[in-house]
Amino acid sequence: MSDSQAKYQQMLIDLRSDFRPQRDWGEGRGLLLVVGHFFVGVAAGGWLMSLIFASSNGLLLSYLLAALGGVVHLGFLGHPERYWRMMRRVKTSWVSRGFVGITLFLVGGFLYLVPVLWPTGLWGGGSITAMLGYGMAAIGMVVMIGYMGFVYTASRAIPFWNSPLHPALYVGYALRGGVAALLVTRALEANLDQVNQLLVLWIAVTVAVTLFYVLEIHGALSSGNAAARRSVHELLAGRVSAYFYGGILLLGIILPAFLVWTGMSGPLTLGAMALLGVASAGGDFFMKYATIRAGVHLPLLTRAGAR
Amino acid sequence: MRYGMVIDLKRCIGCYGCQLSCKAENGTPPGVFFARVLKQEEGTYPTVNMLFLPVLCNHCEEPACVDACPTGASFIWEDGTVDIDPDQCVGCRSCMMACPYGNRYINDKPQHYFAQGQTAFEQARTGRHQTEVVMKCNFCRDRVQAGQDPACVANCPTSARIFGDLDDSSSIVSRLIKERAGFTLHPEMATKPCVYYLPT
Repeated sequence: MSDSQAKYQQMLIDLRSDFRPQRDWGEGRGLLLVVGHFFVGVAAGGWLMSLIFASSNGLLLSYLLAALGGVVHLGFLGHPERYWRMMRRVKTSWVSRGFVGITLFLVGGFLYLVPVLWPTGLWGGGSITAMLGYGMAAIGMVVMIGYMGFVYTASRAIPFWNSPLHPALYVGYALRGGVAALLVTRALEANLDQVNQLLVLWIAVTVAVTLFYVLEIHGALSSGNAAARRSVHELLAGRVSAYFYGGILLLGIILPAFLVWTGMSGPLTLGAMALLGVASAGGDFFMKYATIRAGVHLPLLTRAGAR
Repeated sequence: MRYGMVIDLKRCIGCYGCQLSCKAENGTPPGVFFARVLKQEEGTYPTVNMLFLPVLCNHCEEPACVDACPTGASFIWEDGTVDIDPDQCVGCRSCMMACPYGNRYINDKPQHYFAQGQTAFEQARTGRHQTEVVMKCNFCRDRVQAGQDPACVANCPTSARIFGDLDDSSSIVSRLIKERAGFTLHPEMATKPCVYYLPT
């Protein structure tokens, strides 16, 4: 059976099922969307953390991740050559707002980063160009941190994503990704300054995102419709449960939490610090991947009859 | 003027004539269904019933897909028909995630039905569609502009589908909706669908 026929047969099976799994975002080339959202989230959070903790290497890493995220997003599109058209519906479309945010960030970040990394370059750190870049990058960063959750919340076809907590969850994960990016940067720099503050911040953000995620799952189970409940089933005991337990819990929370505990109770090695950041970021990726893959379409006809 | 459709579930016999005529008219590739018929058994033996639910784009008055589209490729004609301009679509599929009725499909690569390759019909009809863009029903716009009914309406053997102007209170569709308590799918989504169903 050819790929084309296999896809068609899979679609027929999906269309006949009560709860059609969402496959357009997250499977095949759709995986690029998840990767793009992951990079963009980490980049925006990393930029914020790097500004707070004054890390120029962190700023550079965040900028490169955002650029990579933008390219990966383009790779997901069916017609990437038409990307510029995505600026046209800022008034109603969160995808459009996100695109504008990434563009602002990349342009502004470049203007701000040049004097930071090359002080004797074309313009100075206190110049209007650099200040303009700082402002543009800050606006872009805020949009990038916020827009992804709203993209999913606006997707009415997938009830599991419609939770009002989803944007807060994505904001939380962006911040957690930012802390992880900065931990990796500091490990690569062999710089242990303010490590305890970063670990405390990691704990606070992790507690917040875990609480949001638990509340979102609880909300879907207690007040969601049949499709939302089915998504929770897929997440906890269905086709994406391995990513939930292995990726989100084990890789993203338990392993980093153990490393944080060793770091708080004694000296943290650079290797452990890097592993902590990578594992935490890996958990964030699996959170996004599993949540997207767990989505099922709102059914028109169910065993309970037409709704 | 606001085009809409009424589907009489009492008349529908689940023959798939609408689905086939739509495929023939629009030359949709495998995996793309502008019109579908959902089937379901209801009740328990000996009082069982087969329910048929023909579905298509609901051409909503407040379409979530149009709001979600980042490029403006999804738009509403002056007659209320929701359509896609394939030249503007970037293939981001956000409209597919926004449509609560699941009636948008991506035509992600050139496809054909038979192992031997594209038939002459497919070359003529399916080949005209752009790939890597989202597709959906547009109430057979070319036919309607030529004064004909959409293909699914014209080919329904039991006349279960009626097409007309919802803004005209004297039209058949408006009268049927009023007299037989026509309902829409997922009214809680507040998209104000223009496809109504008459109860069995």
